[in-house]
Amino acid sequence: MLKKTVFGMLVVANLLFAHSAIMNCFDNGDGTITCEGGFSDGSSASGVEFRVEQDGKVLLKDKMSKNSEFTFKKPSGTYTAIFNAGEGHQVVIDGKDIVQ
Amino acid sequence: MTKSFLKVALVSSVIASSALAHFQMLYTPNMALEKGGKIELRHVFTHPFADEHTMDMGKQHDSDALAPVVDFFAVNKEQKTDLKATLKEITFKGNHNSGKGFASEYKAQKMGDHILVLTPAPYYEKGEDAYIQQITKTIVNVAGTPTDWDADLGLKAEIVPLTKPYAIWEGGSFTGVVKSNGKPVPFAEIEVEYINRDVDIKNNKMGKDRVKAPQDAFVTMGIKANKDGEFTFALPKAGFWGFAALGVGPDKEYKGKELSQDGVIWVEAKPMK
Repeated sequence: MLKKTVFGMLVVANLLFAHSAIMNCFDNGDGTITCEGGFSDGSSASGVEFRVEQDGKVLLKDKMSKNSEFTFKKPSGTYTAIFNAGEGHQVVIDGKDIVQ
Repeated sequence: MTKSFLKVALVSSVIASSALAHFQMLYTPNMALEKGGKIELRHVFTHPFADEHTMDMGKQHDSDALAPVVDFFAVNKEQKTDLKATLKEITFKGNHNSGKGFASEYKAQKMGDHILVLTPAPYYEKGEDAYIQQITKTIVNVAGTPTDWDADLGLKAEIVPLTKPYAIWEGGSFTGVVKSNGKPVPFAEIEVEYINRDVDIKNNKMGKDRVKAPQDAFVTMGIKANKDGEFTFALPKAGFWGFAALGVGPDKEYKGKELSQDGVIWVEAKPMK
């Protein structure tokens, strides 16, 4: 029981203090966008929450793939891509900054 | 008599000086990109500090035709991409002469490290009646997440970094290991040079010099690796620094002449401002 708690705390500590969250998105030129997530220490972003929002509404909420990526259909109009690795570890990219 | 002796002495000192300090440039203006995108590259064989002679890449002793580049590729997230077809011939203008080199574009789209590796054809250096082949590595990072920068690619001649070569402040230091086919080379001889010029990528030419060397030993700085093939060098000024481990590759002969197969890496120090 104690062991489990300590392990749990360690994981949390790692998430909280594991340097900064990073996201890079690009337009694939075929109507889709790919966003890659990562951390400045090189750790994987696999399983980390990823969202796409438009006018405050959530269009898509999923998790980064095992390659720390997520590909989605490009929404029409303005949108934002959000990589959510916990408090203080959110990266938001405006759709208009995502180019080929 | 005295005059002609002086002339001979001067000529031989010029030859001695230009026999040193060849550097294969694999240049891009920014090694730490905020986000992915297309980058410009220039492949020029020159003396980046003094810029007294720009060489024709692939020059041979037995033919006027220049030998083509042997290999050019990128590695990102352990995936290799062949880039040889992206090379376009250019004439690059130094401050004293022009030489044949290449321009290319690379799509550094994915996040992380992109290791660019150029293996030019051996170059015939008439002054030494020998060939030089510099296997050259430049590592570009996208968005700050580290992926491949410390990879040992097992090249014939290679400097494997122990410091991210794109994330060094001015005044910081760079540490690397000299290797040949993945094995450290003890006490390897290394030459260090600063690109003492603004590289004008648009017009394929070098700008004026930035600093003056107080003496020749500061133009090309000679250092040695330790018994494990490691070395550290502090970078006193922002800009691009080249490290060339001399003659560490296994190939010692080309077309019946002596060959120095060198491993080169480029490092960028950023200003603190």
